[in-house]
Amino acid sequence: MQISFNWLKELVPLEADVDEIAERLTMLGLEIEAIRRPGEGMENVYVGKILDIQPHPDADKLVVCQTDTGRGETLQIICGAKNMKVGDKVPTAIDGAVLPGGFKIGSRKMRGIQSCGMMCSARELGLGEEHEGLLILEEDAPLGEDIRDYLGLNDVVFEIEVTPNRGDWASMIGVARELAAFYGKEIIWPDESVEESGVPAADCSSITIEDADLCPRYAGRILRNIVVKPSPPWLCSRLIAAGQRPINNVVDITNYILMETGHPLHAFDYDKLCENRIVVRRAQEGEKINTLDGESRQLDSEMLTIADGKNPQAVAGVMGGADSEVGEGTKTILLESAWFEARSVRRTSRCLSLSTEASQRFQRGADMNMVTFALNRASRLMQELAEAEVAPGILDTWPEKRDTPPVTLRYDRTTSHVGVEIPPADQKAFLQSLGFTLESEDDSSATFKVPSWRHDVRHEADLIEEVARLYGYENIPITMPPVRQSDSVFAPRATPLRNFRSYLAGQGLTEIMNWSFGSTEALANTGFVAEDAALVRLANPLSESYAVMRASLLPGLFGTGAYNAKRGRRNLQLFELGPVYLSRPDEILPDEPMYLGILLCGSAPGHWSQEERPLDFYDIKGCLDDMGRFFKKEFSLVAGESAAFQSGQYAEIKWRKHSLGQLGKVSDDAVKFFDLPENSYALEINLETLLSRMAGPKQFTAIPQYPASLRDLAVVVDQSLPAQELLATTRQAAGPLLVSVDIFDVYSGKPLPSDKKSVALSLIFQSPERTLTDKDTQKAMDRIVVRLQKDLGAELR
Amino acid sequence: MKEEFVHMEQEALSRIAGAPDLKTLDDVRVAFLGRKGQITEILKGLGNASPEERRSLGQTANQLKGRVTQALEERKAVLEQALRQEKAQQQRVDLSLPGREAPRGQVHLLNQIADEISDIFIQMGFQLALGPDVETEYYNFDALNTPDDHPARDSHDTFFVKPGVVLRTQTSPVQIRIMEQTRPPVAIIAPGRVYRVDLDATHSPMFVQMEGLLVDKGITFSDLKGTLMHFIHSFFGPDIQVRFRPHFFPFTEPSAEVDILWTAKDRHTGETKSKWLEILGCGMVHPEVFKNVSYDYEEYSGYAFGLGIDRIAMVRHGISSITHLYENDMRFLEQF
Repeated sequence: MQISFNWLKELVPLEADVDEIAERLTMLGLEIEAIRRPGEGMENVYVGKILDIQPHPDADKLVVCQTDTGRGETLQIICGAKNMKVGDKVPTAIDGAVLPGGFKIGSRKMRGIQSCGMMCSARELGLGEEHEGLLILEEDAPLGEDIRDYLGLNDVVFEIEVTPNRGDWASMIGVARELAAFYGKEIIWPDESVEESGVPAADCSSITIEDADLCPRYAGRILRNIVVKPSPPWLCSRLIAAGQRPINNVVDITNYILMETGHPLHAFDYDKLCENRIVVRRAQEGEKINTLDGESRQLDSEMLTIADGKNPQAVAGVMGGADSEVGEGTKTILLESAWFEARSVRRTSRCLSLSTEASQRFQRGADMNMVTFALNRASRLMQELAEAEVAPGILDTWPEKRDTPPVTLRYDRTTSHVGVEIPPADQKAFLQSLGFTLESEDDSSATFKVPSWRHDVRHEADLIEEVARLYGYENIPITMPPVRQSDSVFAPRATPLRNFRSYLAGQGLTEIMNWSFGSTEALANTGFVAEDAALVRLANPLSESYAVMRASLLPGLFGTGAYNAKRGRRNLQLFELGPVYLSRPDEILPDEPMYLGILLCGSAPGHWSQEERPLDFYDIKGCLDDMGRFFKKEFSLVAGESAAFQSGQYAEIKWRKHSLGQLGKVSDDAVKFFDLPENSYALEINLETLLSRMAGPKQFTAIPQYPASLRDLAVVVDQSLPAQELLATTRQAAGPLLVSVDIFDVYSGKPLPSDKKSVALSLIFQSPERTLTDKDTQKAMDRIVVRLQKDLGAELR
Repeated sequence: MKEEFVHMEQEALSRIAGAPDLKTLDDVRVAFLGRKGQITEILKGLGNASPEERRSLGQTANQLKGRVTQALEERKAVLEQALRQEKAQQQRVDLSLPGREAPRGQVHLLNQIADEISDIFIQMGFQLALGPDVETEYYNFDALNTPDDHPARDSHDTFFVKPGVVLRTQTSPVQIRIMEQTRPPVAIIAPGRVYRVDLDATHSPMFVQMEGLLVDKGITFSDLKGTLMHFIHSFFGPDIQVRFRPHFFPFTEPSAEVDILWTAKDRHTGETKSKWLEILGCGMVHPEVFKNVSYDYEEYSGYAFGLGIDRIAMVRHGISSITHLYENDMRFLEQF
C-alpha cells in the first residue's frame, strides 16, 4: 500500500514531520518498506500561460508559441501539440529545467527557429500515459507557481507492508485512523454529500440478493449523463502517488475511492444490464463470463456472480465483465458498493487464478459499514468530475447484519502477558481511541464491541496486543525469565551429530549444504535404484531439476564437485551431512534418515616438498576408518556393483548385519554425466544406526607393565588373497600374546612371479603378567608361519 | 726439571691451540695425558724421587696437568662450537617457505552460525528439538492457528507433496510437536531447513530457520524482550541498537518483528551507513495454539520466536546474495 503524506494530512491533522510519522507508523505495526518523493528530481517547471500561437514557417506539424512563465519572462517555444489555445495555462519547463527521469530541457533550433524550454504533457511530468497533447491546467492555476506545488507532486509516499490481519490498513482512512488514535485526533471525513435529481433509483432498477450468505449487503446508485473524460491533474497525481495509472474519470474515481476508503467499487454500464437490474447469486455450474482483462472464464456453482436479469456481469469482488464495461459511449452507470464474504472471494480468486486490488481487499475482510460512505463519496466525485446526475436514493439491500461478538479484557491479564502494569483507564482509552466501544465494565474488566473494520479481533489476546501497541513496544521493560527446563530430552542426537561434523571438518573435509530436492535423472545416475514409490515427489516443484526430494546425497555432492572443478578446483575433499527423504508405505510422512556423504577428487593436499599424490581407493576407505574411530565401531566392506562406481573399487559398508552405505571410485559414466574430475571417490552412509548406538563412555584399560616384543614377517602370497584373510589367520594362529598386527608393506613385481605379492607384517607381542622371553615370541611366530603356509599357501620371504 | 716442565707446557699449549679439529686435539691429549703421555710419565716417575722432591715436583706436575687439561677442554669447546655452527649453517632452511599444514576443512557457515546461536540459548537453559522437513498441513498451518482460508496462508508459497502434506514453510511446527509430547515447562530451540516456492537474488527455495519456544507460568512479553536482547547482544555485540515493532503472525498475539540498527560499509562508495534490518519475528503464544495442544491459557503463558539463520549470517558477514550460501563454491566456503 502506498500512502501519500499530503493526502494523509487531509484526513488527519498531523503536526509531525515525515521522519516522525514514518517512525510512528513503523512502531504501530505498519512496516515502511520505502519512502519515495515523486517530485524529486523535477526542477524549474512552472504554471505558464500561452500568449500567442503562430504556425511554424518550415514545418506543418509544429507551431511557435509565446509562453509567459509568470516569472518575468516570455519564452518562445516550438511545440508539436494541437490541443491548446491562446490563454491556456500549461506546465512550462524553462531552459535548464529537469523532468522526471533526469531529462534536461535546454534551448535549441527547430527547423531554423529558436525554441527555449518546453511545454509538457501529462506523461512528461510522470502523470500517466497521456502524451497526445499538453496537460491543460485549470484556468485559476496561479501563473508562475512551481508545478510540483500546484499538482501536489511535492509529496512523500510511504510504501507500507500491510500485514494479512489488517485489511483495513490498505486504505488512506485506515492509516489515518491509526495515527488519529495515537495522536488523540479526530478523522476529517471527506465530503460525501450529493445532490440528487431525476427519476429515483428505485423506479428504474432493483437489487436482488439470492445468496445472502456470500453477500450480506449490496448497495447501488444510478448516475446519469456521465461524461467520460480524462481526470483532472490533482486526481491523476493522487492515483500516481498511490501507484495507480490514471485511465478515465469514472475508472479513476472508483480507484480513488478504493484507495481512500479501502472499499472496492464497480461501475456497470446501466444500459447494458439486461432488465437494468442486479441479481446477486451463485453462478450456475459452467456459466461463462468475459472478464475485463479480455479472458473468457468459466464459473462454478460455488462462485458468487453479479448478474443482470440474465447473465453474469461480474465475478463478485474479483473483476467486472466486459459486456457491461463502462466506455466512451456510456451514459448511465450503476455504481456497486457491496460486502462479499472473504472466504468466498478467496476461493474464487484462487480457482480463477485471478487476483485483483478488489479481491485482495475483500479477501482480508472489508468494512460493512463503509458500503454507503464509499458509494456516496464516489457519487459526489462523479458529480464533480464526470457531470453525473445522481438519481435519488440508494438501492441498499442488507439482508444480514453481521456483528462480531464482543470481547472482554481483564485488565490484569494485560499485566501478566505484557509484563508491565498499564492503568485500566489507559487500557480502556487506548481501545476506545481505536474505535472499540464499551459495552459493559466493572472494576477489573471491560467488554468491547469490535469495530466493523477489525475482523482480526476475536480474543482477549487481541485486545492485549492493541493495548501494548498503543502503549508502545519500546516502553515495555526488559526482563529475564527464569528458564525451567522440561524433563524430557527432545534431540538426543544433536550433540553427537555436531561433534561428528566438527570431527569431519578436522579431518580436512569441507562441509557443503545443498537444497533438499533434485532431479530423478541425477539420482538415477548415482546408481540409485529404488521403486518409484520410495521417492518423495513435489506436486509443484520449481522445475524438473528440483522435482524430487533427495533420496541420496550423492547427486548433490557430485554436482558440487563438478561446479568447483569447472572453476579450477580439481582437488576437493567435501562432505555433506543432512537428511534424505524416503517414502514409507504406511505412513503419511516419509522417513528422513540422517546421511553422510563424502566426495574426494583429484590428488591429496600437496606440499612443495613432495610430489603430488593422486588419491586412490584407500583415501576414501580411510575416511570410513576415521569414522569407525569416531563411532568406536568396526565396519566391514562387501564387494558389490553399482552403475555409479567402478567395478572392483566399490563396496557396500556393513556394520554387523546392518547395511549402512557404500563407497568406491566414481565410475567413468558417472564422471561423464556429472562432469566430475576423473579421479573421484565417494562414500555415502546412513548414520541412524550409528547415532542410535553411540558407544558409552570409554573404560580405562591398564597400561602394560612389561615390555613388548616386536617382530616383522614378510610372506609371499597369491596376488588375489585379501589382506584381511592374512591378518585374520595371523591373529588366529598367534594366540593371546599377539596384541597387534599391521601391514607395513605390500610389494609385487620382480623378482616375484606376476601372480604373487609380498606382504610385510609387523607384529607386537606382549603379556600383562611378565616379560616375554625370545622363546615365547618365537613359538608364536612359528605357529603363525606354519598356519600361513598351510592355510594360505604363503611362503616366507 | 722445572725448565723441562716449562718447555713441556709450552709445547702442549701450543699444540692444543694449533689443533684444527677434535681428532688432532685428542691426539695431543693422548701425547701428554694418555697412559703413556709425557705428563703421565713424569707423574709415574715421581715414585722414585725423595719425599721433598716428590712434593715439590708433584705439585708442579699436577698444576701443569691441570692447566693442560683446562686448555684441552677449552679448545674442545671451541672446536665443538665451530662444528655446531658449521652443521647449523649447512642445515639452514628458507624460513619463508610454507609449512606443512594439516589439511584444511570447515563446517558450513550456516551450521557454524546455528551452533553459535544454539549455544547462546542453551546457556540460558533452552534445549534443542527437531522436527521433520516434510510436514503435514496440520502441523505447519492448522495447529498454528492458520486454517486453510486464513489470509496468512496466501503469503506462504508452499511446496506440496500431496494433499495435506507439505514441505514445512517454517520451523514453527516443531512447537506443536513438542508441546503435544510434554507438559510445561517447555524451553526449546529448533533449527532446521524450511521451504518456500521462491527463487531470486534474495530468496532461496530452501533456507534455514531457528524456532524458539518458552512456556511456563508467568512468562511475559517483557521476558521475550529480555531474552532476545540478550541473544542479540551476545551475537552481534553489546552496543547494537535493537527495536521491537508490532507485526502479525497467526500463532502469536501480541506479535513483533525485531530490527537491529546495522552499520555497514558500502562496497562501492566506502561510505558507512546505518540501517534498520529485520532479523526475527516473535510474540506471545496465541491462545488458539495452546488450545490445539491442550495447554491451559489461563494457567500458562509463553513466547515463541523464529529467526532466519541465513539472514543473520548475511547481515553479520556482509554477504551480498543468498545464492552464495547454497552454491557451495569453495572460494566462498573456505572464507569462514
